[in-house]
Amino acid sequence: MKTAALLLLMALAAPAATYYVTISGLGGEPDYDQRFKMVADDIGNSLKKAGGDTNVITLEAPKREQIRAKLEEVAREAKPADLLVVMLIGHGTYDGVDYKFNIPGTDISGAELAKLLDSIPAGKQCVVNMTSSSGGSIEFLRRPNRVVITATKSGTEKNATVFARYFAEALRDPAADADKNETVSALEAFRYAQHKTTEFYDTNKRLATEHAVIEDTGKGEGSKDPNAEAGEGRLAAAFPIVRLGANAAAARDPLKKPLLDQKEALEQQIDQLKYNKAALPEAQYKQQLTQLLLQLAKVQEALDK
Amino acid sequence: MRLLGAGVRFREMANSPQRHRGFREVTENTFVVTFVCGLLLAGTLTAQTVQQGDALWKQGRYSEANEVFMALSERNPGNAEYHVKLGRLSLDYGYPDQAQGDFEKALAIDKTNAGALLGMAMVSAELYEGKAADLAHKALEADPKLVEAQALLARVALEDNNDKLAAEEAHKALDMDAKNVEAKAVLASLDLLADKKETQWDPHEARGYLTIGHFFFLNRRYDEEIAADRKALELDPSLWPARADLGVSLMRLGRNDEALKELELCYNSGFKNRLVSNTLKLMSTYDRFTTFTTDKTILVLNKKEAELLRPYFQAEMDRNLRDYEAKYKLKLSGPVRVEVYPDHEDFAIRTAGMPGLGALGVTFQRVIAMDSPSGRVPGSFHWAATLRHEMSHVFTLTMTNSHVPRWFTEGIAVHEEGTVSPEWSDRVGPNEIEAIKDHKLLPIDTLDRGFVHPTAPAQVIVSYFQAGKICDFITEKWGWDAILAMLHDYATSVDTPTVIRKELKVEPAEFDKQFMAWLDPQVQKQVQHFSEWREGFKMVNAAVAKKDWDAVLREGPAIRDDYPDYVEADSMYEALAKAYTAKGNNAAATKELQAYVKNGGRDPETIKSLAKQLIDAGKKEEAAAVLDRINLIFPEDRDMHVLLGGLAMDIGKPQEAIREYHAVLADKPLDPAQAHYDLARAYVGAKQTDKAKDELLAALEIAPGFRPAQKLLLKLSEN
Repeated sequence: MKTAALLLLMALAAPAATYYVTISGLGGEPDYDQRFKMVADDIGNSLKKAGGDTNVITLEAPKREQIRAKLEEVAREAKPADLLVVMLIGHGTYDGVDYKFNIPGTDISGAELAKLLDSIPAGKQCVVNMTSSSGGSIEFLRRPNRVVITATKSGTEKNATVFARYFAEALRDPAADADKNETVSALEAFRYAQHKTTEFYDTNKRLATEHAVIEDTGKGEGSKDPNAEAGEGRLAAAFPIVRLGANAAAARDPLKKPLLDQKEALEQQIDQLKYNKAALPEAQYKQQLTQLLLQLAKVQEALDK
Repeated sequence: MRLLGAGVRFREMANSPQRHRGFREVTENTFVVTFVCGLLLAGTLTAQTVQQGDALWKQGRYSEANEVFMALSERNPGNAEYHVKLGRLSLDYGYPDQAQGDFEKALAIDKTNAGALLGMAMVSAELYEGKAADLAHKALEADPKLVEAQALLARVALEDNNDKLAAEEAHKALDMDAKNVEAKAVLASLDLLADKKETQWDPHEARGYLTIGHFFFLNRRYDEEIAADRKALELDPSLWPARADLGVSLMRLGRNDEALKELELCYNSGFKNRLVSNTLKLMSTYDRFTTFTTDKTILVLNKKEAELLRPYFQAEMDRNLRDYEAKYKLKLSGPVRVEVYPDHEDFAIRTAGMPGLGALGVTFQRVIAMDSPSGRVPGSFHWAATLRHEMSHVFTLTMTNSHVPRWFTEGIAVHEEGTVSPEWSDRVGPNEIEAIKDHKLLPIDTLDRGFVHPTAPAQVIVSYFQAGKICDFITEKWGWDAILAMLHDYATSVDTPTVIRKELKVEPAEFDKQFMAWLDPQVQKQVQHFSEWREGFKMVNAAVAKKDWDAVLREGPAIRDDYPDYVEADSMYEALAKAYTAKGNNAAATKELQAYVKNGGRDPETIKSLAKQLIDAGKKEEAAAVLDRINLIFPEDRDMHVLLGGLAMDIGKPQEAIREYHAVLADKPLDPAQAHYDLARAYVGAKQTDKAKDELLAALEIAPGFRPAQKLLLKLSEN
């Protein structure tokens, strides 16, 4: 009876599911076909390894009808509490008016894609468009509660991109988890891929032909460096793209609830202290930070037992 | 000056930016306005004459003189003389390439135009090309009374340090015109370069002192060049080329306030050629740099990479100073200043107008300017070898009061690179092989010509190689003291043949024979088999592309052994390592890559792959030693620092780990929390607990939930 009650409680407390739809487009030549497929496979493998309550869908060089069918299927299944992550890999075009994702047969436009995504009830969504000219899709895809990441800042950056390779890497590299909370957020993944892309061009002494941006306010043009004061990056920072560790499991254990509450309170105190850093003498800040961090470390130790 | 080696990935380096380029192109707006005005005012320009243009030119009013000559040229398109005038004006303004176009236009109208042929010769001399003298002779054939062409022959000869010929040519010019300023200036330069206090050939003309300044500049006697430029300006304050040269030389010596004053005066007076504009632009970026000073060194680094590079550069500067003070038996009278430029264009401004190709570093007395490793493709240059090379110039120039000939100071500098490790030495590149094969190495008494007036672009690189080998040879046969004795001789302005006779007890021609007899066996195999190697190289790399590993393993070893010095792109070592790896023979692959590194291979990715193989084989100490090489080639490789830091911890060298993890942090890592944590672990290993705690706090401040850091903090707090 006790076990059954616990299971029921866990079921009720279960977090939302995440739907991942990764689509690799038409390469146009074998090298690109292979490259796009490899990135899509890389992403799929990382997501499957991460586990959790996820639905991982990978479409390789699909036709427009297949994309429509799959997204309509997700629309039927997904609930408002769920998360949706759509990743596009390949070539894109922008003629100054329309953005199009290149696939076999008729290309799919930014407007059509937006319409399909709007019909999916998942309350929070993230679209990572990693194609050339992907910046041209922002105006179609942006809306409240949706993070839009594009490999290029505008539709006029037309060269093939390397951003996708590094975004895929972010989903499996612990270094992408900058705050070490065992979850890579959309913002962390964006920053990781952006950093690596910049390094790629710098190291190879090539003029950068892509400048990734992120938009999560539903009304912006996309920013290379989201300004928190303007409200940019908040949704992306709280949007888990992939969970790398077991923290999700701990969060579901009601026996650890008091410790988790304590942990959360300490984390908030640390955040508050960091916020006040400039106003405090250095020694005082250091002392208070040390105390809070030690307390947090002890609580975490208890949680881990 | 240190050049990019010949064998570096077979890349042809562009000519070093010259001092001046087309002012009519640069000041495009001015040109457009001028042109339009020229059309509008065509009717009123009829009064303009060559004499008016010349007068404006003499007053330093270049833009106005240019307008006059342009208008004359447009009205008289068939008159070659106006194009010659425009060319000479461009040349004086500092744009030899622009001038060349004008002279070519003149020659298209009249192919025997002596003025145009002379102009072409002057352009060639300005660009330090080997054909200047031939062109001057052609001009003289066209007009045997053209004294400027005769004087140019004297100038070119002196640039080659051929004093005897320079004097002969100058006297011929004076026979044609006893008042010729350029010829007098060449003769005066001969006396002054030989440290005579006075000269009967004092030109007493501003342009004469400009020429004297040029020869001091070319001989790296910058203080004397500055004095000559100042003397020229005393006589003619509007001689802007002299003021520009003065400003640039002051900048090169780090006398920035004085430099700025002179260059701004040029610019504000309308003399804004590329040399002046670019130098002012460079100086306006100095706030992006930060300076680190010790008793003996001044290190100037760009702020964006200062924290990362400083430990490595400082260590190498200190090591070089220790070595050189002992070897040269000399204490410098002041600190050595090293400026490191991440943007090659900034560095190129420092070397503008100097002879040579694709420089990596350059020394002005005790000031060294060099490329940062971040300014080059990873693996394309060894910054520590470049620094060692340049720092040796500081000693040889100081010892000889800048009287050392170019070939000798460069030869010693190349020699010094190899004294740290044979891996740092210059490799025999394809250009050197071709030169040896075709018997194109220069006799020792004319070797300077290979640096100043090369007859082919590759001759500069070959001359570096030859000069370095000569110094290896002298050291090996006569000992290091012979090198020191030669330096002391040069300090007294003695010429090379005299020095060779005095210190090596042989005639220069005999020295050349002995040198070739010493060099030949070292390069014989590579020279003899070079053609086969080229073919084999292509064949094996084609097999690599097809993953035909059997063919690679069958043919590769012999091709590799035909030319073991070849460690550039697609080397046989790498091809064989790939083939062995594909065949599962990891030990053989490792052996190939070890040979690659030992022979001077510098590609960071290849070096890292060797380190990883050694780690897999459990040879962590060897792996760490291999990786450490990358710090002297491309320290901007963050993954390498992480790997090397970890290895240093594993083999019980926490101090090295501290250095490496500091480098990771300095490179603004993606994962700063991890980097601070790694550094904390290294401090724990070095028993520096307080520093370890500081780093842990830094890690946890970024990532409060970072469990390994939490655990270590708890552990340290318990103790």
